[in-house]
Amino acid sequence: MYLISLRTTRLILLLLSIVSLQGCYQNKQLTDNTLIYCTENNPTSFNPQISNDLASLDATTHQIFNRLVKLDSNTNRFIPDLAESWQQSDDKLHYRFTLRKNISFHHTDFFTPTRFFNADDVLFSFNRMLDIQHPYHTVNNQMESYSYSHPFSNLLSKINKIDEHTVEFVLSKPDVTLLANLAAHYAVIQSKQYADQSLQRGQPEKIDFQPIGTGPFKFKSYTSNGVIRYQKNELYWQDMTNIENLIYITNPSATKRYSKLLSGECDVISYPAASQLEAMSKNKEIILNSKSTSNIALWAFNTKQTILQDDKVRYALSQAIDKKTILQAVYFQSAIQTNTLLSKQSWALKPRIDENIYASQQAKEKLQTLNYDFSKTLSILVPENAAVFNPNFHKTAELIQSNLADIGVMAKIESLSGTALQARLFSGDYDTYLTGINVHINDPDSIFRPLLSCASSPENGNSSRWCSPHTESLLEQSLTESNFAQRIKSYYLLQDEIYKKRPYLPIAHVLRLDAISSSVLNVQVNPLTGINFQYAIKQDLN
Amino acid sequence: MLSFLIRRLNLLLITAFILTIIAFAIDRSVTIESDLTLSEQPNYFFQYLSYLFNLLDGNFGYSSLDNQPLLTRGLLFFNATLELCFSALLISCLIAIPLGLLAGLFRNTKLDYMIMTVAIVGLALPVFWVGVMAVLLPSVWGDVLPVDGNLSLIYDVPTVTGFLLIDTLLVTKEYGLFAFFDRIAHLILPSLVLSFFLVTEIIRLTRHSMTMVMRSNYIKAAYAKGFSRRKIVFTHALRNALPPIIPQLRLQLSTVISFAMTIEIVFNLDGIGKWLFTSLKAGDYLVLPAGMLIITGFILFFSILVEIIMVIISPLRRGSLYVDK
Repeated sequence: MYLISLRTTRLILLLLSIVSLQGCYQNKQLTDNTLIYCTENNPTSFNPQISNDLASLDATTHQIFNRLVKLDSNTNRFIPDLAESWQQSDDKLHYRFTLRKNISFHHTDFFTPTRFFNADDVLFSFNRMLDIQHPYHTVNNQMESYSYSHPFSNLLSKINKIDEHTVEFVLSKPDVTLLANLAAHYAVIQSKQYADQSLQRGQPEKIDFQPIGTGPFKFKSYTSNGVIRYQKNELYWQDMTNIENLIYITNPSATKRYSKLLSGECDVISYPAASQLEAMSKNKEIILNSKSTSNIALWAFNTKQTILQDDKVRYALSQAIDKKTILQAVYFQSAIQTNTLLSKQSWALKPRIDENIYASQQAKEKLQTLNYDFSKTLSILVPENAAVFNPNFHKTAELIQSNLADIGVMAKIESLSGTALQARLFSGDYDTYLTGINVHINDPDSIFRPLLSCASSPENGNSSRWCSPHTESLLEQSLTESNFAQRIKSYYLLQDEIYKKRPYLPIAHVLRLDAISSSVLNVQVNPLTGINFQYAIKQDLN
Repeated sequence: MLSFLIRRLNLLLITAFILTIIAFAIDRSVTIESDLTLSEQPNYFFQYLSYLFNLLDGNFGYSSLDNQPLLTRGLLFFNATLELCFSALLISCLIAIPLGLLAGLFRNTKLDYMIMTVAIVGLALPVFWVGVMAVLLPSVWGDVLPVDGNLSLIYDVPTVTGFLLIDTLLVTKEYGLFAFFDRIAHLILPSLVLSFFLVTEIIRLTRHSMTMVMRSNYIKAAYAKGFSRRKIVFTHALRNALPPIIPQLRLQLSTVISFAMTIEIVFNLDGIGKWLFTSLKAGDYLVLPAGMLIITGFILFFSILVEIIMVIISPLRRGSLYVDK
């Protein structure tokens, strides 16, 4: 038996030493200045001008780049970023920006700038999007992307370089959204010198995959297994970051991300699964950061279909939908039920004392008095893949289908994807469409225009095929009006109109969720432009 | 001896030939359009020959995703897999050999039944499932052991040999031994999970071997001489019970590698399994023949090597040296 006890003791000692290893395998100093962010998806590129998926924005906008102006999250006002100041001309067509001096672009292994940031870089960044002849215009295939250049192509007529540190933006017509657009993720400033160098070397595509910017972190590497490494930009012109190494890693599984947050392998994780939220909110070592976004899930009625032409029918159908159940079954705690297109944070939102309009019986009676044809089957078109604004289209459609069945309206669900869906939307052969809108700038026009303008096609957002002269004039009016009070007023009118006519049923405003370890402070999340680690601090809790 | 070696090598060649034909067939079916140099050849026979020469030249083709040579990439990943397999083997030997010896010594006692029950449960649990459960451990334990990846991301260790335990020792200037310890910490959970089924196998083998030894005449003779049980076990039984296990373990190699490949996917470890999985998912089908050749080639080579070594060192097996036996 002595043999056994000796062996067992040795074994136990060995196992104990293995377990105690965890205490010493971590390099405290290195751990404290390294921040690891575990994300769901790989970025599609490192240029927010060409990629507007959230993974790309998180990986680029605040980390690598700066814009001319930015939005102060506290006051909701535009504040200078790379521009020092700006003036608007009396005719409201010219905006003149004075640029900051002595700002250096990143010094990296693959590029060393020889001059500071100047007007040429601003011109390059915008002309790449606007000028079809620009050598970089077609680089990395953005021609096919609708969102590329779209925000500025109708807005700007040209950009002039006044001197090395002054640029002038000339608008095609008065438009107050210029500043909001310049603060958006797609208005980041790139280095012209780097672009020229890449072009000379015959590798222009590198500009979007090995980015150079003026931001707080510089890009180090991106490997095929989804690891992005950034380093502190030692030459940053604002407050220096506390984090020396910033690392992103892609873990598509939400369970894995949560496990890694608990095991200390991740400091921040994106998109915790809806089902984990309750456990996370109870854990004192995790801070759940939820930001309401303007991204909205909608049910669009095709107003060109005979059966849905009457706004009273659309209203009655909206009444039949039990949004509360949809929220519980599809979104868990990751969205807020809504009755308006604009989110609560929008300055243009007309406060509406909103009755929960779900009233199945009332809806049925209303349809009966309207002589609605109950024998017709309504089609519900749904995209096959989940989107930012809806984690499960099909489940949502099924709930709507059963709500409609309650009032005696038959509905069929049609799941389509990609080009088949686009073609169907283009043909107009559908009754309703379950959709949503992903908003990129903090201006109501960015929601209303794609959804309601006659010029916007169903593929671009107007899936209700709504076109009314009254809406159109209100849209134009609010866009050209620089008197803020007047602008708000026209948006109020527009919202009243939409609420009455009901081309869309707003279902939910989606939350952006990030779970942050309590040892990490000051991580800022902007629902429009992405996460910001510039001010993040990692503290030792042990 | 020479004829034995020739026979073994012959076997190696025939198997390798069959493998290259399979690899060629896969390669043809995925690159019939793209690979012009091969398609220029008039028929499949010449195409195969030129494919074979490419293989012998070390040219397994290039990844369609990142244009890296498949052989070099595959070998680096395979080394990481081997590292995992060996650490699993080490852990399972540490756990299973003492348990197996105990079970053998106390055959048909409560202790034996207990050990064998635990071992059977271990065998019954699917490795993949145990892996998934292990990944959830931080929810119970909190911050104890890492559950994802080969190495903590804070260490930027360049891949030199693919064996990360070695690679991390090459960067001691930068990180000291921290990266090395971090690698060990990252190996513990996957290796433990992978060792689950190995433990059962080794316990069974050790138990059987120990029982056989304890029944042999020289042990009986030792008892008759009046030696104490401890002395008999230590000086006579152990020494003879362990060696027969080793060649048996060789048979487990291919199973360990295939389990390791699934474990890599669960724990997100860079190894040949994850490499094949992600490449196939991304549509890079050329890695399939390359990966297959690397894995099967290694198993084939390794088992024949072990056999030759066994023949050289073990007198009992030398019988197979003679053709007619």
